[in-house]
Amino acid sequence: MEDECKKTSLYDEHIKLGAKMVPFGGWLMPVQYEGIIKEHNSTRNFAGLFDVSHMGEVFVSGVDSLKFLQSIVPQDLNNLEQGRAIYCHLPNKDGGLIDDIIVYSAKNIIDDVDYLIVINASRIDFDVPFMKEEAKKFDVKITNKSDDFSMLALQGPNAKYIIEKMGLKLENQPKFFTFINTILDDCPIYLTRTGYTGEDGFELIFENKYSSKLWNKILSYKEFQVVPVGLGARDTLRLEAGLPLYGHELNDKTTPIESSLGFFIPKDKKEDYNGKSLIQAQKNKLAPLRRKLFAFVMEDRMIARADYSVYINGVECGVVTSGAPSPTLGKNIGFCMIEFDKLDKDLVSKLNNIEQSLGMTIQIMVRNKLYNAQIVKKPFVQKKYNK
Amino acid sequence: MNIPEGILCSKTHEWVAEEDNLATIGLTDWAVEQLGDIVFVELPEVGSNFSKDEAFATIESVKAASEIYMPVSGEVVEVNEELINSPELINEDAFASWLIKVKPENFQEDSQGLMEYNDYKDEVQ
Repeated sequence: MEDECKKTSLYDEHIKLGAKMVPFGGWLMPVQYEGIIKEHNSTRNFAGLFDVSHMGEVFVSGVDSLKFLQSIVPQDLNNLEQGRAIYCHLPNKDGGLIDDIIVYSAKNIIDDVDYLIVINASRIDFDVPFMKEEAKKFDVKITNKSDDFSMLALQGPNAKYIIEKMGLKLENQPKFFTFINTILDDCPIYLTRTGYTGEDGFELIFENKYSSKLWNKILSYKEFQVVPVGLGARDTLRLEAGLPLYGHELNDKTTPIESSLGFFIPKDKKEDYNGKSLIQAQKNKLAPLRRKLFAFVMEDRMIARADYSVYINGVECGVVTSGAPSPTLGKNIGFCMIEFDKLDKDLVSKLNNIEQSLGMTIQIMVRNKLYNAQIVKKPFVQKKYNK
Repeated sequence: MNIPEGILCSKTHEWVAEEDNLATIGLTDWAVEQLGDIVFVELPEVGSNFSKDEAFATIESVKAASEIYMPVSGEVVEVNEELINSPELINEDAFASWLIKVKPENFQEDSQGLMEYNDYKDEVQ
């Protein structure tokens, strides 16, 4: 399996640092360097550097760029100013998700590009053909740049000071969910104030040839206690922050409303988009949810893991989508998808009401025994974005 | 970390040290290194019986749960209670942090397929 995996431009750097490499989404990626807990805590307290070059980058250009994007995402991009980014979904015709993506309004920032889209590594082979097919109805060009660009995430409270050291004063740094085209340490970079940890921080997108230079430069700022961080801690960090992972909390049979991401769906977007009838109806409570994602905390020391069964009042009614010990909280946390067709009406109506669902007890099957967990509000750990 | 003399290792990465018909069982340093930060240990009850190759404990790292298998058949006579509240001790010293002690049923026969530590190391590396 490892032989079939792609390697990022930083593969040799990871090996030099003694990283443990694992296959992930078709890529051979570092899962940890010194240890997941240390890397997790370093990111929360100081700074963590992640190689996320496996993520895909797609350029959208042409007179119909906005119209095209409006037709494929539920979010409304009409008022997305240049230099701003927005978290979006890519639904299929039935309202299930093909991917979750970030769309950057790039006109006048990236030459001849109207929008930059960052997509999940494991979904590149699905998203790009899908977008190209959808684009046929428009005067728009889709270019997959995933093999040309590398990407680093620099996350944590010290991230901004490291970027400052690299030549960009705090006041000139992009604000939360915006991005600029800049030069750091002689390397041209699209610098975005985004991330997947719940911490303040940046993502750096640049041509592959600069990757080793930037990687080593950032790690040289020992005074900011920055450490390389692998996918293991990336997963615990994003889980604590309540952020979904495609293939776990999101899939092609579940709408973003059912994945408890209704916050990101506008009530009354005018333009038609794939899956609109169901997504919009669910958003406006005109169509029932078939299932719903809940955040939970285990009541004892058992750790819930993805695919463990979930029970309510003795009825098997769902699965854990992600679960792990939370290094920040010292508790075991997770997400689960509860199937409403397995439960009686009263219970479903309770689960549909956020306030009523909080504190409800569910059971998770761990090694053939049921253990209590409590439904809680996400995020598990408050986000510290620089808004 | 001291490697106890005369230990035998299994293909599933358990070590066993036998003395006076008492077998002490743990997880090898190589396996512990692979697992990373250990955060939870579930041990069997004293008095329970397990056959060779049967799962008797679960060790969880941040990322995943792993079953631990009996290198020899026997009755559990003692479990390392200290690990319940301090599972990270296993990361510090895989050999000092034994999991269980068992009264083996037939150590001579069961240990036939086990490897000496040096051979085990050659095999995993």
